[in-house]
Amino acid sequence: MKATAWLKRPRVWLVLLGLAALLCAPGLAGAETLKVTQGNQSLHADPNFSGTPIAPVPQGAEVNVVTKAGDWYKVEYQGNTGWIHRQAFTQAQAPKFGLPSMLFGGGVKETKSDEVALAGKGFTPEVEAGYRQKHPEMNFAQVDQVEGFKVDDAKLQAFIKEGGLQP
Amino acid sequence: MRRPILWFALLSGALGLVWGCAGMDVGSVASIAVKTTAKAAQASRPINDSEEYYIGRAVAARILGSNRLCTDQELTLYVNEVGQAVARKSSRPNTYRGYHFAVLDTSEPNAFACPGGIIFVTRGLIQTCASEDELAAVLAHEVGHIANKDGINSISQARWTEVLTTLGTETAKQYAGAGGQLISLFEGSIDDVFKTIVVNGYSRTAEEAADTHAVTTLRRAGYDTGALSSLLTKMMAKEKGGAAGIYKTHPPTGDRLAKVKTAGPGGAPDKMEEVRTKRFQSLKI
Repeated sequence: MKATAWLKRPRVWLVLLGLAALLCAPGLAGAETLKVTQGNQSLHADPNFSGTPIAPVPQGAEVNVVTKAGDWYKVEYQGNTGWIHRQAFTQAQAPKFGLPSMLFGGGVKETKSDEVALAGKGFTPEVEAGYRQKHPEMNFAQVDQVEGFKVDDAKLQAFIKEGGLQP
Repeated sequence: MRRPILWFALLSGALGLVWGCAGMDVGSVASIAVKTTAKAAQASRPINDSEEYYIGRAVAARILGSNRLCTDQELTLYVNEVGQAVARKSSRPNTYRGYHFAVLDTSEPNAFACPGGIIFVTRGLIQTCASEDELAAVLAHEVGHIANKDGINSISQARWTEVLTTLGTETAKQYAGAGGQLISLFEGSIDDVFKTIVVNGYSRTAEEAADTHAVTTLRRAGYDTGALSSLLTKMMAKEKGGAAGIYKTHPPTGDRLAKVKTAGPGGAPDKMEEVRTKRFQSLKI
């Protein structure tokens, strides 16, 4: 019998296929790429917001996820590896205009179930909703307006450059 | 003897698939471990970033309940540009939902930092500033309060302990109802922060730390480090006229000035500072 004869046996191939699946599946499936949907995001050395960020990550950038730990994802972007908060990948909700929202403010932010989970059990959007019911005199409509005011990244860079400030 | 080989093949394949599916969310295992650890640590955990954000929103809503928001888009954009240029160079460049700056339509000079990143500056305080660098000094000081979590730290420890105790007993309940214990505790927390930032002011230590933070941030951002002392000099002259607003909630301006002068003596204005001052003066405030 030739030394390579065993390769012609289908069951041996099945064994090899099984082993290949066992070894490669996690590696293949683990390679996840996510798109940054929010502006003004950065890579952090540790999974928290304190400290100076490693590098900025612009809106629309695609990052490779190395691992996830709670609300923080360890990612690779342009040769840098660091942590980024999962809020960077949340989808913005289109604002709803109407008389009630103009008078009393829009709905409480983070209505998506995953975002509610993100906030954790404590002072959450539900608690804010209860507080707003109790205090209709509070001007949450204008708070939404303040938070909705965005400075375009390109405009900010031009402002910084024009003023001779540190980029 | 051949059957075991076949079973081994099928078992290997099945294991591979199961492991592969798990690998699609490779962090889920780590996530579960983190959540389990978090639950165990919840009994004594500090206020987290998202909770800080919701407290800050409510404090901002309360401030806006009695102050008119300036609707001048050009001025709001400018204040946001200066604020963002400063915040990104601070010791806390990112918060849960980022920094947002707004102008309050009142002539009384004042500024408020709501936990989480909303910062208000009054038209009166902007009018007191003579340059962009001085406005940057104001905003850097307020960012310092957020970076140092001074607002959040004004929530009484007893109240926060009660929140954690309530969380332990209400985890299985729907606590969205208006009468929930958590809502009352949230309300109390807003009161604590509001009283500190609007009525009584932070501690002298917190104010000095925010001043030091402002000087460091100005230096990092490329602004004149002497801008805070030049603004405080102007404010000291006005302080003699009364002890309301910003003067009531802050330590004596003369004391602040002496410390700030040492930290950020400043220098002669350069060409770029003149460019910044020109764009500040072109605004209709």
